[in-house]
Amino acid sequence: MENLLLIALSAIFVNNFVLFRFLGLCPFFGVSKKTSSALGMGGAVIFVMTCASALTWPIYTYLLVPRGLQFMRTVVFILVIAAFVQLIEMVIRKHARELYEALGIYLPLITTNCAVLGVALLNVEEQYHFLGSVVNGFAGGVGFTLALLLMSGIRERLELAEVPRSFRDLPIAFISAALLAFAFMAFSGLGVW
Amino acid sequence: MKKMLGIALPLIVICVLFGAVLALVHEVTEPRIKEVEAAKINASLSYAFPGGEFAPMDGYYVVTVGGEEVGYAFIAEGKGFESVIRTMVGMKKDGTIERIYVISQRETPGLGTRIAEPEFTAQFTGYRLEELRLRREGGVIDGITGATISSRAMTESIRETGLEVLNESVY
Amino acid sequence: MSRYTELTKGIFKCNPLFYLVLGLCPTLAVSTRVDNALGMSLGVLFVLIGSNTLVSLVRRWIPAEVRIPCFIVVTASLVTVVDLLMQGYAPDLYARLGIYVPLIVVNCIILGRVEAFASKKPVLDSLLDAVGMGTGFMLGITAIAICRELLGGGQLVLLGLTIVPAFTKSPALVMVLAPGAFLTLGTIMALSNYRKLRRG
Repeated sequence: MENLLLIALSAIFVNNFVLFRFLGLCPFFGVSKKTSSALGMGGAVIFVMTCASALTWPIYTYLLVPRGLQFMRTVVFILVIAAFVQLIEMVIRKHARELYEALGIYLPLITTNCAVLGVALLNVEEQYHFLGSVVNGFAGGVGFTLALLLMSGIRERLELAEVPRSFRDLPIAFISAALLAFAFMAFSGLGVW
Repeated sequence: MKKMLGIALPLIVICVLFGAVLALVHEVTEPRIKEVEAAKINASLSYAFPGGEFAPMDGYYVVTVGGEEVGYAFIAEGKGFESVIRTMVGMKKDGTIERIYVISQRETPGLGTRIAEPEFTAQFTGYRLEELRLRREGGVIDGITGATISSRAMTESIRETGLEVLNESVY
Repeated sequence: MSRYTELTKGIFKCNPLFYLVLGLCPTLAVSTRVDNALGMSLGVLFVLIGSNTLVSLVRRWIPAEVRIPCFIVVTASLVTVVDLLMQGYAPDLYARLGIYVPLIVVNCIILGRVEAFASKKPVLDSLLDAVGMGTGFMLGITAIAICRELLGGGQLVLLGLTIVPAFTKSPALVMVLAPGAFLTLGTIMALSNYRKLRRG
């Protein structure tokens, strides 16, 4: 029985989804210019990743595996995720207008966020049980949000700094990400003992 | 209603069509994939216990040479730095290691991947399970510099699974 | 746009990696070795050509409301085909690429081109676009991989042949780890910006 805390610590710090597994990079660089939008995207990602894990695990375990259809997992997972995101967007737009204003625009982007499909596939690969998968999804999202918030803080400051012209906007953002990744490497001994 | 059908129909057609294509590709590739997997296991078994014949049991193999039971072979799995490290281990009846072979790992290139290299794996031969720890932890295995986690994960998994197999085979 | 431009725009001017900034996830994850980079880009090229061509072929029959699910089914199926073929015929590459093979389906380059281009343009143009973009991706990811493998591994091995023998005993290991990936990409982008600024 995997230690749930270990799974969470691993997903947030040691094997951070953005800074270690390179998942969720497109929104990471696209939405990290302002802390407010970073927070919105992060919240949406945590929600979708958790639900995606909760939905895909039973489908894989009880529908695909007994029929020997594991090879269909890519198609099935991405369709489930796309359908779920579509559904959530419709629900939020109808019943929680303010929430839609804050989060709604990010939701369609999340379908193609490699972190969502990534965590569903990782749950299968690491052979987590249901609770482990859900924790992995939630913690993965938290790790993503953490990295995103740190990045947005840095980029807001960079806007005011004298950056060489060639490096402005994206290149310096990548260099900053490199430094963040360095920092997170310090966690690699965490939780192994 | 008719409009709904009109919208949904292309999607349904595409799903059915591609579903069929996938089923076909799967049929065609499945035997080949199974072959590849079996060949890998057999190659690793032969390496882990040269000259032996292998009878699968529940979670391990019983190795016989010339009809006489000489040891066991099993797959040890340990969570490394970036992936699950799977090692085929050949072990004599008395609990000393014959040879080991890393079946699969996806550790850091140039660092963790070196646990699959003969310089590292050759270390295990001849030692008893109880001795299998990293040198700095009181054992005999020299970990790879910069890849302590990978080295330790593999060593621990071999020792622990080996002890399990020894226990099981007693009954 | 002439057919020739259609084909070549993806290689330099509109390079999907450095200009459109798409498809980052597999790029940084897989560019630790040139072997991996080439294998991944071949897979992406296959899916890109397949999905662009197929979607363009049936574009008139797909209603707008269900176009995203349709694109997803097409792309995901092609990715599964690549997945199965690689498992059977290039198992070592498949073992090294891991989850990034199925993740090709959410590679923004593919869905991006299908949505922005193939769903609206004729088949030949879509095909050329796919080839151009796929080649641009291949060049980009391979360039990064060459940097990372040389600096981080001290040698370059391609398909079993040692192209650049080990020239140092202590290479800059950080280059094959996460920070090195970001550093390399950021530097190449800055270099490309510099060229653009000098030009005009």
